[in-house]
Amino acid sequence: MAAVALFGAGRIGAIHAANAAAHPKLSLKYVVDPVAEAAARIAEAHGAMLARAEAALADSEIAGVIVASPTDRHLDQCLAAAAAGKAIFCEKPIDLDLARARAAAPALAKARLMLGFNRRFDPHFQALKARIDEGAIGSLETLNIVSHDPAPPPVAYVKASGGLFRDMSIHDFDTARWLLGEPPVSVFASASCLVDPAIGAAGDVDTAKILLRTASGRLCLISNSRRSGYGYDQRIEAFGSRGMVRAGNVTESSSSTWTEPGEARDRFQSFFLDRYAAAYRLEMDHFAEVLAGAAPRVGYADGVAALALADAAAQCARTGEPVVL
Amino acid sequence: MGGAAAKVALLGAGRMGQVHGRNAVASPRFDLAWLVEPRAELSASLCNALGCRPAGLTDVLADSDVVGVIVASSTDTHLDLVLACLRAGKAVFCEKPLDLELARLRAYADELAAPCAPLYVAFNRRFDPEFRALKRRLASGAIGALETLHLISHDPAAPPPAFIPTSGGLFRDFTIHDFDVARWLLEEPPTEVFAWAECLVDPAIAAAGDVDTARLVLRCASGRLCVISNTRRSGYGYDQRVEAYGSRGAALAGNPRISTVETWSETGALAAPIYPGFATRYVQSYRAELDHFADVLAGEAEPETGYDASMAALLLADAAFRSLREGRSVPVETA
Repeated sequence: MAAVALFGAGRIGAIHAANAAAHPKLSLKYVVDPVAEAAARIAEAHGAMLARAEAALADSEIAGVIVASPTDRHLDQCLAAAAAGKAIFCEKPIDLDLARARAAAPALAKARLMLGFNRRFDPHFQALKARIDEGAIGSLETLNIVSHDPAPPPVAYVKASGGLFRDMSIHDFDTARWLLGEPPVSVFASASCLVDPAIGAAGDVDTAKILLRTASGRLCLISNSRRSGYGYDQRIEAFGSRGMVRAGNVTESSSSTWTEPGEARDRFQSFFLDRYAAAYRLEMDHFAEVLAGAAPRVGYADGVAALALADAAAQCARTGEPVVL
Repeated sequence: MGGAAAKVALLGAGRMGQVHGRNAVASPRFDLAWLVEPRAELSASLCNALGCRPAGLTDVLADSDVVGVIVASSTDTHLDLVLACLRAGKAVFCEKPLDLELARLRAYADELAAPCAPLYVAFNRRFDPEFRALKRRLASGAIGALETLHLISHDPAAPPPAFIPTSGGLFRDFTIHDFDVARWLLEEPPTEVFAWAECLVDPAIAAAGDVDTARLVLRCASGRLCVISNTRRSGYGYDQRVEAYGSRGAALAGNPRISTVETWSETGALAAPIYPGFATRYVQSYRAELDHFADVLAGEAEPETGYDASMAALLLADAAFRSLREGRSVPVETA
């Protein structure tokens, strides 16, 4: 059993805490959060203790740290955990500031840091990747990624989010990098505020179409919206020289009702914690592997690369000029 | 409807000429009298199949009983034939595109934009039952206000390399359909185009100076966005889909399959393939667009698309090529 500490007792922290506590190879020892009530609730639920960050990192029994705090705390907590020699599971994004994220390279590039890009751990997308890797569609040529949220977040969230590209598209940038098999070398983005004028007033966009291009000419489309109106729309289509492989949306049930107007299928899952519940469990499973000595499948460099793509997309959306990385 | 069958002539006995000829013969609304096709063998065999007679263009235009002409010859002949027919007072059904050159279209703008006989340029996708049903869903407000559009338009297999130099290039030959569908569904003209395109399918296409794989982003003044996905070779059939995203939901038109039969086995479920090409996938659209021409001839409808739509689609294609050359988003020229 490896003892771990959770930093951050918010919504995603609660998910990771439950998965860590339920994992046969992990034990959740500490919950660290300045909001004592939130920390206490999670600690109590899983038989963990409350602690301050310094104390948790000073405990030699702690092998790993789960960083699930607000985004602006991620990098500092990763640096502190790495300095204390702990393995790290850090929620995405690594940071919202590319220069700051890059400056952490000496400390983090070699750290045992696993970044929580949950799509990589989703069984549906993993199956799609496996089909690509086994050559089912020949050689991959292009990719269409659709990633639409069910409903826009509160404007207060938007203001602190780093903007659509750093907050939301960042997942898709990582998915694209993961599937394309070679790094994107240029980025185009066209974005609008069509969903909620308050998002525009906060200086952000809520609707975007992004194109990525790799050195060999592979093309990737990313479609983003803050509001679908029909649930959490998370799909991938990969086109290759011999065919196409796609991963579709997950419905709340497989039931469908057939009446005169047509076949009514059940709704798509509309909450990311539901849609990616298995991915979060598998992430924790991988963190247990990292603690046992495995190299993280997705780490610091991936976080920086996704952030660089986000910055490039934001720049292009402003200027209209595609950005060469 | 009703009334006597309209006496028409067919120009061109190639692939599309055969499709339109068969549909005209099968329709009670047409009396297909003449076929104009300089290649004697092709002409004889199609005349035989359709039960019409070979003729020269002059004879057809001199036949005062002929009210309409179906132009389905090779693209480079479309414009001259269309002009000749219009000048003779014949209504025209012209296979898309009207022409590949903006300058040529502009030179005849007056004659084509307000023609002395009806001019219908056949963008068949507007008559596809799948896309029409989707359009009706949009019009009914089922998804609220339309915000963005994805058009997936992938050919089953690359054409022979010899076709490429005459095609006008991917955007004028192939994407032109999607440009028209985008305009039809957006109901707002795109003002900016960005295109990335590559040759990933067949090096012979690059050698002929063209591309075979593309992603395009069209932008409207209101901020609405449309993505077009193109490839010359899918590997799994003719992939023709539209996804429309609105303020309250999405409407999707997918690929019909050649049958509903599915095979379930240990390895999973195998559904029947989608249609292998345009001739099978768009069978109904070709019938419906010819029926539309019958409506036009009967004075019951204005042509759904004519000079303006042709011009607008070609302007988008030219903008796409310009974007590709310049490597940036470019404004769409005005007619």
